[in-house]
Amino acid sequence: MNSVDFPASVIRLENGLTLIHQEIAATPVVVADVWVRAGAITEPAEWAGMAHFLEHMIFKGTDQLPPGIFDYAIETHGGMTNAATSHDYAHFFITIAADMLPQTLPYLADLLLHAAIPADEFSRERQVVLEEIRQAQDDPDWLGYQAMSEAVYQDHPYGRPVLGTAEILQRRSPEEMRCFHQAHYQPDKMTVVIAGGIALEPTVAMVKHAFRGFASPPPCPAAAVAPVPTLPGVRREILHLPRLEQSRLTMAWLGPGIDQLETAYGLDLLAAILAEGRTSRLVRELREDRQLVQDIGAGFSMQRECSLFTIQAWLDGGDIDRVEAIVCDRISELAAKPISDAEMARAKRLLCNDYAFSTEAPGQLAGLYGYYGTIAAADRCLAYVPTLQQYKEADLRNLAAQYLTPLRYVSTILRPA
Amino acid sequence: MTASLLQAPRLHRTVLANGLTVLVLENPVADIVSARMFIRVGSASEASHQAGLVSFLMGLLTKGTAALSSMAIAETVESVGASLGTDAAADYSVISLKTVSADFPEIFALAATLLRQPSFPTEEIELERKLTLQQIRSMQEQPFTLAFNQLRQDMYGEHPYARPGIGTEATVGAITQPDLVDFHRQHMRPDSVVITIVGRITPAAALAQVEQALGDWQVPDASSPPALVFPAVLTTPTCSMAAQETNQAIVMVGYPAASVKHPAYAALKLINTYLGNGLSSRLFVELREKRGLAYDVSAFYPTRLGPSQFVAYIGTAPENTATALEGLRFEVERLQETVLSDEELQSAKNKLLGQYALGKQTNAQIAQLLGWYEILGLGVEYDQGFQDMVAAVTVLDAEAVAQEFFHKPYISLLGPEEAVGPVAAAHA
Repeated sequence: MNSVDFPASVIRLENGLTLIHQEIAATPVVVADVWVRAGAITEPAEWAGMAHFLEHMIFKGTDQLPPGIFDYAIETHGGMTNAATSHDYAHFFITIAADMLPQTLPYLADLLLHAAIPADEFSRERQVVLEEIRQAQDDPDWLGYQAMSEAVYQDHPYGRPVLGTAEILQRRSPEEMRCFHQAHYQPDKMTVVIAGGIALEPTVAMVKHAFRGFASPPPCPAAAVAPVPTLPGVRREILHLPRLEQSRLTMAWLGPGIDQLETAYGLDLLAAILAEGRTSRLVRELREDRQLVQDIGAGFSMQRECSLFTIQAWLDGGDIDRVEAIVCDRISELAAKPISDAEMARAKRLLCNDYAFSTEAPGQLAGLYGYYGTIAAADRCLAYVPTLQQYKEADLRNLAAQYLTPLRYVSTILRPA
Repeated sequence: MTASLLQAPRLHRTVLANGLTVLVLENPVADIVSARMFIRVGSASEASHQAGLVSFLMGLLTKGTAALSSMAIAETVESVGASLGTDAAADYSVISLKTVSADFPEIFALAATLLRQPSFPTEEIELERKLTLQQIRSMQEQPFTLAFNQLRQDMYGEHPYARPGIGTEATVGAITQPDLVDFHRQHMRPDSVVITIVGRITPAAALAQVEQALGDWQVPDASSPPALVFPAVLTTPTCSMAAQETNQAIVMVGYPAASVKHPAYAALKLINTYLGNGLSSRLFVELREKRGLAYDVSAFYPTRLGPSQFVAYIGTAPENTATALEGLRFEVERLQETVLSDEELQSAKNKLLGQYALGKQTNAQIAQLLGWYEILGLGVEYDQGFQDMVAAVTVLDAEAVAQEFFHKPYISLLGPEEAVGPVAAAHA
């Protein structure tokens, strides 16, 4: 695989923590983004939702730092902070003027290492998470996505909602959460990314000083282990939802895990050829020419153990079967007929430019490094553009034949009740 | 960091002979050029029977010119991996593009042609109509959008800000090709256009490209662009409800508020930050962190040339509707009697100005901000002026503004009938 020199420094500290740093001299901004390999996939099934609930509770302070002080300190210094949880990770970030980082990074480290998870805050914040679940349940696209994930991933933890369920969360205790926190928020599972207007040397000193004194990991119930799923055939599920104004059709295929990144990038190209932009195959045929769909898109979503390739259409309920059959035809064609040079060039250019456009600001760059650092290795992102460029049309057809068969996929359909 | 990024001499402002304004900021850091073409006409300029016309027209700009079909346009853009989009806001419209720098001349020239010579092909009009009508129906799926549309209608009455920019099924159903052609001829003219170009390009090269593509575009006649006259807002506060079997109730309160040119603008932006912006904001701390009433609770105060609105909202379990409404009103209206402490005011200023600076990180963000100030008639110097005005707000200014604007609110509720019905009845 061709590679360019990685512009960031990757440093393994003595305690096992990974630091990734890139100085961007022209910006007065710095982003600190801490990634923890403690997403929903690390939960035992009966603790589903714990990783995300913990992300909320991290902000509830430590013995040294009462609830709310961190948010106030960051925002009063003109910065922003937030967090997100997925199956493969949880991450926490601040964006702030570079000269404010020395005063604020220690707070973030204290929260992550020493979250107190007070019992009264636990009960109160659980109400907030339950509201988040209620809000999600009013969103038909969230409901459709969950149904599709369950059908595709079956018993694998990727099939569970990151939010968990109200029933499970009601049964959880602050003690269990402290156990989960101390077991997983450990230096060997943590990557600190610092990008922006700050030099390497002070960054290393600052991170070494702030990220020390980890608790020793207690015994904690093990993660649910399930084999990576396979799809035996076509699985079709229809949900009837109230308040729905338009039907949806989602077709999903399983892709490889992070150990096959080149394959994953090829599937990205196939998604672009099929349904990114007005001149892509499916958008052109189904929306512009035959006018059978309101919109159609394809997406490839990389996950550590097992990725997902989806095609999603918004359409009239009466056209669902027809559109699904056409998509199956086009999927078969993808493997059978040569892909034109123009289509190859267009897809490569779109993805390469998207990559350039998504590394413009320090926050974007930190997110990219943190994500790759957590699910693979930070410098692997550099292979993206060279790998795309090397793809020949025959390679893509082989991938299509291997992964995108009309004989094995999940189809999730939403219809108005 | 709070210093202006947009100071001379880096920023070049030029007005062409035909009245078109060009702003260029060279930023060689990344191999990217972002540009915006702002047009001084937005949804607020539509007649009520043509609601949605500007949004519809902007969508159609990329669907055909005298020489190019919709597919040919898409082909040009997508084959170089550029992005090109259009949008219609209440007070302006905009074409946005982003390319790697080598592709900029070709895509910019294309965008200029779309702006000047759209052909509005009838088959594209029909497709756009079909897609737009479905989009209007799909708004019913989004509780927040429904509740906000209801609030906006109640607050603005006959004023065009009452209407969603996308229009209604009736008005979009009635749009014709001559409507589009007429509106374009009347409003899309060089003296109503501001172009901003930011990125790896020299001011000379950028200006030459604008001159070449748009320098010979003539003002249609000697007249000035049509002036915009808003009808007065004559509504009085009401409480409306939409009964929907949702899992969450949406509660919104809206207070009529100042336009961007009103002296109270900076103080209201600051109060908006204090109440609704971020994890340390008053609404977030009081209603979410201390009482667990919501996941999403916030406030917004849009920047408008005409009379704006100050809105606070919350999504909560249906049985908490009354409590949440009371909590929102209490936090907003208490500012009439409660003077902020110096520390609270300073924190809000740091937060607003800090985040304002963080909003100028990418070429696209800078191109948007510069052109937006210019098209609203505030001028690029408003970038500094706004920061100065915010810095100058005193605690007494904030109190005076709260007393001027935070009286009885318009209330919009959405949720299950048995939960929101009684609350609506109590406020009728």
